[in-house]
Amino acid sequence: MAWRNVWRSPTRSWVVISAIALGIWAALSLTGFATGMMKSYVNSAIENSVGHLQIHAPGFTEEYDLKYQLPPAPALEEQLKALPQLQAYSMRTVVSGMASSSQGVRGVVVKGVVPGQEATVSAIKEKLVEGEFFPEMRGNAVLVGQELAEKLNLRLRSKLVLTFQGLDREITAAAFRVVGIFDTGNTPFDGGTVFVERQDLNRLIIPQTDTTTVPSDLVYEAALLLQDVDQVDTAAALLQRALPEEEVKTYREVSPDLELYESQIKNVSMIYLVVILLALVFGIINTMLMAVLERIKELGMLMAIGMNKLRVFSMIVLETIMLGVVATPIGLLLGYLTINYVRENGINMSAYSEGMASYGLSQVIYFDIEPGVYTEMAIGVFLTAILAAIYPALKAIRLKPVDALHSF
Amino acid sequence: MAVITTKGVEKVYNPNKIPVKALKGVDLEIEAGEFTAIVGPSGSGKTTLLNIIGGLDRPTAGYVEVGGEDIAKMSDNELIDFRKQHIGFVFQAYNLIPVLTARENVEFVMLLQKRSKSERHARADELLEAVGLQDKVNKRPAELSGGQQQRVAVARALAPKPTFILADEPTANLDSESTSNLLDIMARLNQEEGITFVFSTHDQRVIDRARRVVTLVDGKVDKDVRQ
Repeated sequence: MAWRNVWRSPTRSWVVISAIALGIWAALSLTGFATGMMKSYVNSAIENSVGHLQIHAPGFTEEYDLKYQLPPAPALEEQLKALPQLQAYSMRTVVSGMASSSQGVRGVVVKGVVPGQEATVSAIKEKLVEGEFFPEMRGNAVLVGQELAEKLNLRLRSKLVLTFQGLDREITAAAFRVVGIFDTGNTPFDGGTVFVERQDLNRLIIPQTDTTTVPSDLVYEAALLLQDVDQVDTAAALLQRALPEEEVKTYREVSPDLELYESQIKNVSMIYLVVILLALVFGIINTMLMAVLERIKELGMLMAIGMNKLRVFSMIVLETIMLGVVATPIGLLLGYLTINYVRENGINMSAYSEGMASYGLSQVIYFDIEPGVYTEMAIGVFLTAILAAIYPALKAIRLKPVDALHSF
Repeated sequence: MAVITTKGVEKVYNPNKIPVKALKGVDLEIEAGEFTAIVGPSGSGKTTLLNIIGGLDRPTAGYVEVGGEDIAKMSDNELIDFRKQHIGFVFQAYNLIPVLTARENVEFVMLLQKRSKSERHARADELLEAVGLQDKVNKRPAELSGGQQQRVAVARALAPKPTFILADEPTANLDSESTSNLLDIMARLNQEEGITFVFSTHDQRVIDRARRVVTLVDGKVDKDVRQ
């Protein structure tokens, strides 16, 4: 009887069903957008240089003091290769310094890399917009970000002087030739990071009086890419046991903002869902209240002939749930199709790209969603329907049959 | 044996504001198998009396016994259950459930009584045949005439085998032919099956067919005539 009552007024029922379905679609799309944006941000950070795991000597990341060295490269490499989850690694020297051209000076982080290793871990090689990724050449090569190039008026073959402290804490400066310009879409990164060859950097930081330190052995940072990002905690634990005196950190620990971002996205999705469902609650209450008020005489008759209050209450609640049962698959399907389409094709946000790049977000956002969100949505709608049904159902059972029967 | 007994039944509406005394002490006994019409001018209290007898309303004072039970003291839920088991209602406006077919309407109270499907089907078909609607079992109320709907309502009222049927102006919305058909059916059921009928009515045709006529005036029994 509840099912048939739903279809007494098909137009009204379809309006409510459409509202619920569109609400679900909107909540799913917003969640897909937010999750896609988060993953874009996190992946961008991982791709650009963070990797899934990083290893440093304790104390290094506080001040980039060169006295905090990792074990020599060959020994370290052996430990890394023993990790079962490993996909690729890059062993780097990292110093903070200044970059200066004829047009100005900027604070930068200088990353000395082994080109072959770096290309397997970060996406810098793919993000080059001009030049080459460390071609064979005489002299010191440097890759700069598009942002830095614009600020210091650098082009390919431009000279850039990098100044930094050496192992002996003396200031060292050296001229580098710009061989490539990259654009990761992350403005702060592009404006504050340069890449040089590790052997070139190590030669510069080792004092000339030091004849024992082998330049190729010096490593300050190892960035690792794993086969599966979900293995990151397990791999970190394994590596920490293998290197008890070093600091092994996951990408969340290296960049706490990534962890914050990840956790906030879940909260944000929940907020979208709650707000949309709250709006739906009032729409459903309105519809069901109308459905009860226009059936006062009939409800009075039902109670007169013996339908008890629990049954009347259940009937109203059931009618409301049925509206949700029809609407939910429609909304979920619309959401699923939208997310899948945008997951493949992306949404071009280039109209907002400048603002987004300054936050480390890419121009094209690809929707993404955890499968569990669909279930959460369905449960949310079910609970919303029950909540919305309570007031109209209470109104129905508070009717006195004698008054209801004689109403107009 | 009396199926309905009222003693000193009073009903006052709006007792705290402007009190209106609809019933001023009604004493009445209706025996099993009676075909009784309660008549009176508008405002005489007949609908109020019917509501009280039917357990839809409670008296302000007095005693009401139906089927041997004091219904004036029952709670709302107890009254709902009591009506389901003992009282069949026929309303002026038919009041069929519009989304159910004729057969489903007749089965409805038996469904509430948790009778089996086969029992409900058999009884519904039997009653619809008794009221001459055996070929309309799958029609919804909107597909039936006023007279046909009222006959379905009578079948529905009879379905749970109640102690008595209460009919409030059952012919008010019917034409003469439908009225005549309905009264024939009710009279036959009363005579052949011994079903007790209590009507509230203005309709002279109903009054003429009743075997007992109780006249209410100003909330009291003025006349009680067996015809």
